[in-house]
Amino acid sequence: MFDRRLFLRGASVLMGSAALGQVMTAFAATPRKASFFSESEMRVLRTLVDVILPATDSPAASSADTHFFIDLAIPACAGPRARETFHAGLKALSGYDGLAPEKQVAKLRARAEKDMALPYEESFFRILKDYTMTGYFLSEIGATQALAYERIPGGFQGDLELKPNQKAWAI
Amino acid sequence: MAASNTFDAIVVGSGMTGGWAAKELTEKGLKTLVLERGRNVRHITDYTTALKDPWELPYNNRPANADRKAQPIQSTLYLYDQSTKQFLVDDTKYPYDQAQPFNWYRGYQVGGRSLLWARHVFRYSDLDFEANLKEGVGIDWPIRYADVAPWYEYVEKFIGASGENPGLPQLPKQVLQPPFEMTALEKHIKREFEKEFTDRMLICSSIAVLSREHNGRGPCQGRNQCARGCPYSAYFSSNGVTLPAAAATGNLTLQPDAIVHSLIYDENRQRVTGVRVIDANTFTSTEYFAKVVFLCASSLNSTSILLNTRSARFPNGLGNDSGELGHNLMDHHNGGGATATYSGLLDRYYKGRRSTSMYIPRFRNVSKREEKFVRGYGYEVYSGRGSWTRGIDTADFGADFKKEITRPGEWSIYIEGYGETLPYRDNRIWLSEDKLDRWGMPHLNISMTYRDNERAMAQQMMDDAAEMLTAAKLENVNGFNHPIVPGSVIHEMGTARMGRDPKTSVLNAHNQIHAVPNVFVTDGSFMVSSPTQNPSLTYMAMTARAAEYAVGKLKAGEL
Repeated sequence: MFDRRLFLRGASVLMGSAALGQVMTAFAATPRKASFFSESEMRVLRTLVDVILPATDSPAASSADTHFFIDLAIPACAGPRARETFHAGLKALSGYDGLAPEKQVAKLRARAEKDMALPYEESFFRILKDYTMTGYFLSEIGATQALAYERIPGGFQGDLELKPNQKAWAI
Repeated sequence: MAASNTFDAIVVGSGMTGGWAAKELTEKGLKTLVLERGRNVRHITDYTTALKDPWELPYNNRPANADRKAQPIQSTLYLYDQSTKQFLVDDTKYPYDQAQPFNWYRGYQVGGRSLLWARHVFRYSDLDFEANLKEGVGIDWPIRYADVAPWYEYVEKFIGASGENPGLPQLPKQVLQPPFEMTALEKHIKREFEKEFTDRMLICSSIAVLSREHNGRGPCQGRNQCARGCPYSAYFSSNGVTLPAAAATGNLTLQPDAIVHSLIYDENRQRVTGVRVIDANTFTSTEYFAKVVFLCASSLNSTSILLNTRSARFPNGLGNDSGELGHNLMDHHNGGGATATYSGLLDRYYKGRRSTSMYIPRFRNVSKREEKFVRGYGYEVYSGRGSWTRGIDTADFGADFKKEITRPGEWSIYIEGYGETLPYRDNRIWLSEDKLDRWGMPHLNISMTYRDNERAMAQQMMDDAAEMLTAAKLENVNGFNHPIVPGSVIHEMGTARMGRDPKTSVLNAHNQIHAVPNVFVTDGSFMVSSPTQNPSLTYMAMTARAAEYAVGKLKAGEL
């Protein structure tokens, strides 16, 4: 009744479709156009996500197309008030991408300090941070290079030594 | 559609208990029709999200506004996301009325909520079965532990469960595979509890997840994505375990998209002869006939079907001589608990995603009678090291922030009590007189509130949780006591209780309707009280027990 080969084959059928999904996504990814924000807003957004999560020992947020994730996710997932706040905040930062790097950091720092006190729906920075983090750390680059990820860990080991410089699990 | 409309047995529902009824009845030689109101979900093949990486799911697995609009209630469930939403109903298609707020989480598909359950499987004990009688609450259970014990063992051996037998009378010994390993923090807490308490301990929960291979299934691969459906069959679901066993007998006919409207009652024979079904897609009606009917449609839906079966003999619902049908609705409550952090053990981590909690067994009202409340609670315990999500709602950003956030953070722990709720007659469900859904089924009304006993217990749940985490030398201990909307624990039960006396109960000790002996109700609606422990194992054991009784009576010509 329970045929091990059958169920392993079942798993491999699903694995096959998952792998195919990745290929399709990669194929569809270039060249990429924004669907919600304007080209100039996208340049600001691209700069912002890289100021938040720059290239370190792993690629920057924009290398994982985090700004495109936000372009898709804000209209689809954010509530009407948060969407409005975010769009207005982005517009208010027009020209941000042209600033010197240290000015970009200072300007975002000031914005963060002011915005952290606001309710989420009215806080441009909190919304930006939320979507930047989700977009990057759950992308393939973020999960597998900035963090560690195993689709099928193969079991659970509860108490292991943390190796020097070991990355945290993505999920 | 089925080739013939006549069977030996009809099972309504294909979830946790429907799958068990199907397996037991078919294995005993009965040609059995299983009616499922939702779509078919084939094991493995239809687990379309099972192995998807986060970036392959829409919006990296974040629910969208359109999802919340279609599933305003379902989307509040803790496990709701892009990978699981397909196993929860569209609330706009299946409306119900809340006389008092009630979160009704429903999985209308083959397998039902056995695909989604949290898989904890503890036995009840005589502390539970005797409580109503001893305290004068509700009515007495018509069974005791000895009646169910062999069926617990029977079910555990088949489903495959893992965990730790703590050797406590309130958690009877089970047939278990070795438990999943504790984290370093959990081991620390276990040791501290051993030093600090004589009545409290930390164990690994009993869980219907395989830590070892079992009958060609499993073991668990450490994905903790059970609610997507398991391609390794490592947790128990109807789809992966009982329905395949039933199908293997050649006696099973599974009919999805079949909404049971009511049962067909023969006044002369005083028996049910079959069921009326509405096709979910074409809206056409069909009748199916059988010698015996098992209602396994989930607590509220089985009772709805009985309430919707009216006749001159039973004007207020089939088998409702007692007037108790629809009454004594229960759910657990889990609002009380505590959180804490721990700054030590920074050199310890883990690998894989464990799909179970740790557990603190009930210690209140076990050996000593409490003054403020009756019954008790156990705690589910979850621990881990901080992930990148700890950096979402902070002002920090930049290279140093990114480096910090990509390394494991401090240990933290979350413990949550699961408390017993007493049966109150006016916590109840009833059918609307005038509002019908698109299939012509009356809307269900639900009215349930928690009362003084639950509130006093929740306060103690919080206080005990904070006390225990403090005793375990953890830091930043914060107790909480959140208000809970009934239904939220998804252990809705009662509404067709069993009992010894037909004047005060709907079912007898064998889950059989007192006055209609060929109808058995074996989902959670039979419950007389709501013990502390998770209920599904008891539902399964009682279903197998009722099936053996039913087939015996059928063969003896007594149904």
